[in-house]
Amino acid sequence: MHILATEGLTKRFPTVTALDQLTVTVGTGVTGLVGANGAGKSTLIKILLGLLPASSGTARVLDLDVSTRGADIRRLVGYMPEHECLPPDVSATEFVVHMARMSGLPRTAARERAADVLRHVGLAEERYRPIGGYSTGMKQRVKLAQALVHDPKLIFLDEPTNGLDPRGRDEMLALIRRIGTEFGISVLVTSHLLGELERICDHVIVIDAGRLLRSSAITEFTQATRTVTVEVDEGTEPLAARLTELGQKVSPHGRLLLVEVSGPGTYDAIRDAAVDLDLCLIRLEQGRHRIEDVFREEAAHV
Amino acid sequence: MSEIYDIGYRHYDGPRLGGGHATRALAVHSLRGIYGLGRTARSKIMPFSLATIMLLPAVVSVAVMAMLGERAMTYSGYAVIMQPIAAIFLASQAPTAVAPDLRHRVLPLYLSRPITVSAYVGAKVAAMTGALFLMLAAPLILMYVGELVIDLDGPPQTKEFLGALSMALVLALLLATFGLALASLTPRRGLGVASVIAVYLLSFASVPLVYTALDMSGYHSAASWAWLMNPFWLVDAVQVWLFDTPPNADGAYPGGPMPAVIVVALIGLALAVLAARYRKAASR
Repeated sequence: MHILATEGLTKRFPTVTALDQLTVTVGTGVTGLVGANGAGKSTLIKILLGLLPASSGTARVLDLDVSTRGADIRRLVGYMPEHECLPPDVSATEFVVHMARMSGLPRTAARERAADVLRHVGLAEERYRPIGGYSTGMKQRVKLAQALVHDPKLIFLDEPTNGLDPRGRDEMLALIRRIGTEFGISVLVTSHLLGELERICDHVIVIDAGRLLRSSAITEFTQATRTVTVEVDEGTEPLAARLTELGQKVSPHGRLLLVEVSGPGTYDAIRDAAVDLDLCLIRLEQGRHRIEDVFREEAAHV
Repeated sequence: MSEIYDIGYRHYDGPRLGGGHATRALAVHSLRGIYGLGRTARSKIMPFSLATIMLLPAVVSVAVMAMLGERAMTYSGYAVIMQPIAAIFLASQAPTAVAPDLRHRVLPLYLSRPITVSAYVGAKVAAMTGALFLMLAAPLILMYVGELVIDLDGPPQTKEFLGALSMALVLALLLATFGLALASLTPRRGLGVASVIAVYLLSFASVPLVYTALDMSGYHSAASWAWLMNPFWLVDAVQVWLFDTPPNADGAYPGGPMPAVIVVALIGLALAVLAARYRKAASR
């Protein structure tokens, strides 16, 4: 089932084309939207929220047309903007309750949901204090809470890890993963860092200058390659020579050796060679693509 | 903190009310904010002290009615006499209604929900109008209740009271739209306060200047138009036309429906400025 779909979506501003003939579909689960700054990510989200008209092309969110059913879409989706968007003089609880009511929840339901959601994002006692005194990490949690408070079917997260320290980043990513799996809410999360999305997404869409570079499942991006990485303490060169002698294809990669796997015999050959040369084998690892490599390849073609 | 994460997520399957509900909730929320309710004690000081000052002449008037059996204040003249207080209230509180959402960029969070730009502006105008109306109407109601309880000679001035009450609503709407339009032009609260009070002072100070200048030059009938440069006298002129009350100015206002037309035009102008301002803010 498609959570959202665009067809030839184009958005032209007076001086720049933000989206150029973008045709893409997104299923349930966590989907990453990757692109450099200015690639058109935020513009796409605004169009999908029905806040910005497209120049041409169509887009549907939860099977509702963005140009005519914007109000219905906004009832069912949550949005966490990239920029600061919190008033400093109210508490997180008050703010999230208010935002729940703005989404159409009755007063008591709004209170219950706000308390629930703030607990889920990990704000405890501090939620009664004014937001002005919060750290960046806590503010990001409040921003996430207001996007979740009305229990949306789909949530747009625009650069949610921006400005976070490594630990805050890990916690935010884990939370996003939980939203997509345990909470059962589909997520479209943007980032300019591929490594982050690799960890939490089921599907990744790469855009550049408003054009689609690639859209595929994360498994396709990071599928196993037919190489095995070998690391030894010292004696990399004799090992390479020995393996070549044994008929294996070897290519040095810094201090590591990449050995092409031709069959189970390859592993035996590596083991035997290491034993024969009396080397200390540190690592033997199945090679995997990283989506960054894919992105580099794709970008090189354009 | 992982242990507090560890509770299951519950879905919400209760009612989801429409944009109308959200808009009303926003209006009530903003009205409370204007009076500092649900905010810090410090933000209650200004609105409540001004509202109290606004009530004082009514209290004195009731006391005079009780002891001397005379009216100290008229219903129709209350707003004009107390105009600086209402203007200070407008200047200090209108920016609190609009500036934070612009300054801290909360607006996109509203617009990503079932609230439109016009509903948002409408809720803010309704809240500010309500806040001003409470302030302008409370002393009138207090005086009227006092008059009924004390039972002065002659019939109670119900017609004048109701007239003044409806004019308070018109005045509140005029002040609210103008105050919000001015305040929304800057995201800075301080600048908003300053610009509203500056415009009010200008309209207050220019009236005698223009009036005297025209009167001395012999344009006696044209001079009466000078009064309409100030919102309080402008609405008083409408009151004179509608309810035949004595004017609260030195001299007569220009008669006929013209003041009422000006009021409607000014409200329309202020709403247009607000709409343009927020359309621009929304597209950012």
